[in-house]
Amino acid sequence: MVLPAGSDAVTREIIEGKLLATVDEMGVVMGRTSMSPVIYEVLDFACGILTPEGELVAQMNGITLFTGTFGTQVQALIARFGEDVAPGDVLLTNDPFAGGTHACDLAIVRPVFLGGRLAAWAINVAHYLDVGGSVPGSVAPDATSVFEEGLRLPGVKIVRNDTLSAELVSIIRENVRLPDIAMGDLNAQLATVRIAERRLSEIVDKYGHDSLRDCFTHLLDTSEAEARAVIAALPDGTYRAQDVIDGDGVSPDQFEVCVAVTIAGDAIEADFTGCPPACAGPINCARGALNSAVKTIVKALVAPHAPSNDGWFRPLTVTAPDGTLFTAMKPAPTGWYYEGSVHASELVWKALAGLKPGRFSAGPYSSLCATYISGTDQAGRPFIHVEPQHGGWGATDEGDGASALMALTNGDTYNYSVEVIEAKFPLRVTRYGFNTEGGAGAGRHRGGYGLVRDYEVLAPGTVVHGSFGRSQTRPWGLDGGAPGSVNALIHVPAGGKPEHHSRIGHLATHPGDTVRIVTGGGGGWGPPEDRAPEDVAQDVRAGLLTEAEAREIYGHAGEDAA
Amino acid sequence: MIRLATDVGGTFTDLVGYDERTGEVYTAKGLTTTDDQSRGVMDTIETAQTRDGLRPDEVTFLAHGGTTVINAITERTGVKTALVTTRGFRDVLEIGRGNRPDLYNLRTRSPEVFVPRELRFEIDERMDAAGTVLRAPDMDGIAPVVEACRAAGVEAIGVVFLHSYINPAHERQVADALAAAMPDVTVCASHEISRQWREFERSSTVALNAYVQPILRRYFGRLEAALQDRQIACPYYAMQSNGGISTFDQAMDSPLTLVESGPSGGVAGAVRIGDHLGEENVLYLDVGGTTAKCSLITEGRAVLNTTYRLEHTRTWPGYPLQLPVVDIVEIGAGGGSIASLDARGGLRVGPRSAGSDPGPASYGRGGTEPTVTDALLTIGLFDPAAFAGGSFPLDVELARAAIGRLAGPLGVGVEQAALAIIEIAHANMINALKLVTVQRGHDPRDAAFVVSGGAGPALATRLGRDLGVRAIVIPPHPGIFSAWGMLAAEPRVDFRKTWFADLSTDALSRLSDSAEEMRTEALTHFGRGTEAPVSCTFAVEARYAGQEHGVMAPWTPGEDIATFTDAFHTAHERAYTFRLPETGVEITGLHLEARLAGTTITMADMDPAGRGLDDSRTGQRDVWLGDADGWVPCPVHARARLPLNTALPGPMIVEEDTTTTLVLPGQTAEVERAGSLVIREAG
Repeated sequence: MVLPAGSDAVTREIIEGKLLATVDEMGVVMGRTSMSPVIYEVLDFACGILTPEGELVAQMNGITLFTGTFGTQVQALIARFGEDVAPGDVLLTNDPFAGGTHACDLAIVRPVFLGGRLAAWAINVAHYLDVGGSVPGSVAPDATSVFEEGLRLPGVKIVRNDTLSAELVSIIRENVRLPDIAMGDLNAQLATVRIAERRLSEIVDKYGHDSLRDCFTHLLDTSEAEARAVIAALPDGTYRAQDVIDGDGVSPDQFEVCVAVTIAGDAIEADFTGCPPACAGPINCARGALNSAVKTIVKALVAPHAPSNDGWFRPLTVTAPDGTLFTAMKPAPTGWYYEGSVHASELVWKALAGLKPGRFSAGPYSSLCATYISGTDQAGRPFIHVEPQHGGWGATDEGDGASALMALTNGDTYNYSVEVIEAKFPLRVTRYGFNTEGGAGAGRHRGGYGLVRDYEVLAPGTVVHGSFGRSQTRPWGLDGGAPGSVNALIHVPAGGKPEHHSRIGHLATHPGDTVRIVTGGGGGWGPPEDRAPEDVAQDVRAGLLTEAEAREIYGHAGEDAA
Repeated sequence: MIRLATDVGGTFTDLVGYDERTGEVYTAKGLTTTDDQSRGVMDTIETAQTRDGLRPDEVTFLAHGGTTVINAITERTGVKTALVTTRGFRDVLEIGRGNRPDLYNLRTRSPEVFVPRELRFEIDERMDAAGTVLRAPDMDGIAPVVEACRAAGVEAIGVVFLHSYINPAHERQVADALAAAMPDVTVCASHEISRQWREFERSSTVALNAYVQPILRRYFGRLEAALQDRQIACPYYAMQSNGGISTFDQAMDSPLTLVESGPSGGVAGAVRIGDHLGEENVLYLDVGGTTAKCSLITEGRAVLNTTYRLEHTRTWPGYPLQLPVVDIVEIGAGGGSIASLDARGGLRVGPRSAGSDPGPASYGRGGTEPTVTDALLTIGLFDPAAFAGGSFPLDVELARAAIGRLAGPLGVGVEQAALAIIEIAHANMINALKLVTVQRGHDPRDAAFVVSGGAGPALATRLGRDLGVRAIVIPPHPGIFSAWGMLAAEPRVDFRKTWFADLSTDALSRLSDSAEEMRTEALTHFGRGTEAPVSCTFAVEARYAGQEHGVMAPWTPGEDIATFTDAFHTAHERAYTFRLPETGVEITGLHLEARLAGTTITMADMDPAGRGLDDSRTGQRDVWLGDADGWVPCPVHARARLPLNTALPGPMIVEEDTTTTLVLPGQTAEVERAGSLVIREAG
């Protein structure tokens, strides 16, 4: 059978399906073959396919941090290399100041030449467990310059004529702490862009270059049109929001940040003018990460479930002067960039929440609360345990917030199995449960609960570092809902008193000590006095609230529940 | 002498009987009786008795497949269940993995739990990762749990302690105490269902097992009584999710193993067909009304899923189960899938389905949206008068009118639009079929393609041609192939165990000891003594040091390290395109697939009498094959009367009661000696 004439819609639909299947396949291979736990458990990577001009058309997204970073990165590489790319080349970049995020995120980019023509770009960005720098894991919470954050390779040819560059491999191997793991991840990344080329070549063989190109154009144009339609339906105006960032890792100072979001017709602008200059510590983000942070919320607004591509973001302008906390310049440190960029996302979220309540919730626990526990195990082998923490999300106009869910910056990110941790690392988990002590924001609908995770340290010389945001400023409530609760990294020395930390570069522990990770509950929605008595009664029954707490917050413990 | 299988679906209950002496086949179809499914089963047996003279006392084998377990879960109608965990970990079940695959939905949640927080209890006890006791269970903690469960009316309890996969002693001790204190409550410990690590996945498995256990026990109890009343006194088997069968007693101990009972019947059938035809690799597709399911059989064995998740979608984490389930990829593309234009003017097919009510537009029951069935009717592939054996005439004009509403905006004619719908459904199926083959390192060109289901054979020849398969096979009874497959299934059990060590000669020798223990466990499971014809196939899950996920590599106890290492590198490269010969290898698990041989269905030769080209020819019909070919006249043949072992050239339509097959120009079709229709590219 031959395709019916004039069936462009059919061919496009088929090619679109194949593009999505391709990025999915890249993701499956990456997740399963990667060596580093950051990638396989945390899924801190993403894969995509872009047009020859560097516009994203299909993305496999494990996390939101890479929403829209691909376009900027590939366009920076196009500018750098110009015509100097050939079939069989693969480029590598990890420069935060050229569209990237932080030095740990290595982008592997393959120009896909088919029949001598550049048909597309395939990209895979993955977080490496270590790229050198001042601390294991390369992201010191108290770094004061990018030079402390590991090896930067701002656009190099890692593969030429399908041959891996021995020089570059040697540079990487000699500059990272865990070279075997790094090489395993590099292999996995290279395999994924190779798969992309194979699948694209099957599409072009069957449907031709023009059909592929037509599909790209159509995807971008129709996404743009849909996004504009949603934006046009919102009332024109400028909507402002403010928030506070708690500490930068160098000092506990608070930073007030703000946004003005303007809806004008079918366009949207997010203006961060008025935000403070880059701070001393590494929670700064550069412009690429800022754009990505704003795009995440625009995507949530216009089409949360549709596959991502750059068309959705054509109506968006992001305005911010150079050199702010959200637009840091070299040599500002950016190792913990997502601790800053999440606030850019949340500002836009907060500004828009009232405009389209059906797409938003109240404030979440926000911070990834990434925790690094490192040392030497009983057999004398070095270990690093890296773990993002899950926490409470805000309530919505329809129901209570979600408990124990991954932060906005990540996404399809798993927690770490206690049984697997104990089999691998000299650590014992003694509690993993809801943070009922901290509680969640009260409201007609309450926020979701955060978590408490207790690690008992078993090996001498174990060191902890991490960067927990929202340690003082609680997640915001909406429509009269109460704010949620805060995050904390607590050290309980054996037989001693608990010490509270938030962003800490070096915490020495001893066997028998407990490292307690606490994440906050989300904000509430609606006045607490409007909460249904049966909902209060259920929380008491489930042990989320004591009767005394219920009386204090809601004035009763649900005795009158039907 | 007579093998019976019953497949209890959501709407219909199918019965297939096979007389091994004569090759005679009995079939009966009845409505599923949802209040007590055993009535529906007995109704179909009654029908076969009165209509076809089935003699119950001659039944020597009965297999049952059905939706009892999956329905209790999806409809949330299981029993009130409690869960007992290690102190400090009662929230593990509700926390889940905390992943948020619905990335841009700022209102997403985690799946609801099956055991609410007030029914999750903690006992003070602890093992370490080596299985060493750190703290013995506090048995004084049991009494308050018993009291709370009694007060709440709990009917089933799951027990899950940390590291029970390596040392189940504490779980056993506490489960025994709970069972002794509450004899009327079902108690189930996680290690009885899974010996794998990851506490959430094991908790989820034991909680769901407990949730459905009383339901299945009651149902099988009623069914057994009814079968005995009817003088059917043979062994009763349940179709499991692993493509094999177990006795009713075994199934009642771990009812969750029946979760994908229905679909795995078809897989078992495809395994049998492959074996009969001498094809080691089989790609199996079943196209139902709402979905299409595909799976792969390699080296004569169904591939199992390593991370089965119930209700999982792209944006929903679902419920992981540590169980052997055949690897089935299911997509929303079936005969009833609705075609529509999306906001961007693209043509979509599925996942919405017209189901059986109102059904496709051509059913004339009020459906107005065009479906895949309407498209197949419009291009002439189905005979409107002969659909479903003539019991259910279709209305071509209604189909054309529905498709016409899409043709306008697409700017094409009705036939072109119909073909476009088929084209999209076809592309969706190709993506799913490639997912189970190419994406997992298997080449469809090495496989036979077995296709069943109402709309499957109508699409099969195009799909097979695009995939380049060795042969397309329409098995006997494609409309009730799941039930037929259950007749063919063998008793089977799978054991998976987390088994962790660096690869070394010593480790392999210890692994051989573990394998021997597993083999003994399997022999005990089947209960036929140590000389029973049990075939054991082992596989070792291994990974490169530093990786998290392992790949399964074949292994035989006693095999040397070089042979296994090579097998592992090969398996890794096949799955992920590269190997790392310099990197150390870790063993992470041991898997045993054990089958009790000797009870599968014979596939007797068909009787050639009454078969011949002239006998089978029933007419001619024009089929639209696209703009290039236009309407092509195709002879129509009745499958039951086609001559045996004779390759006939396409184009040709082959009809039977439940389905229609289109043999394309350039293909040949042949009914082989046991009745399968085998289609190959000519020349």
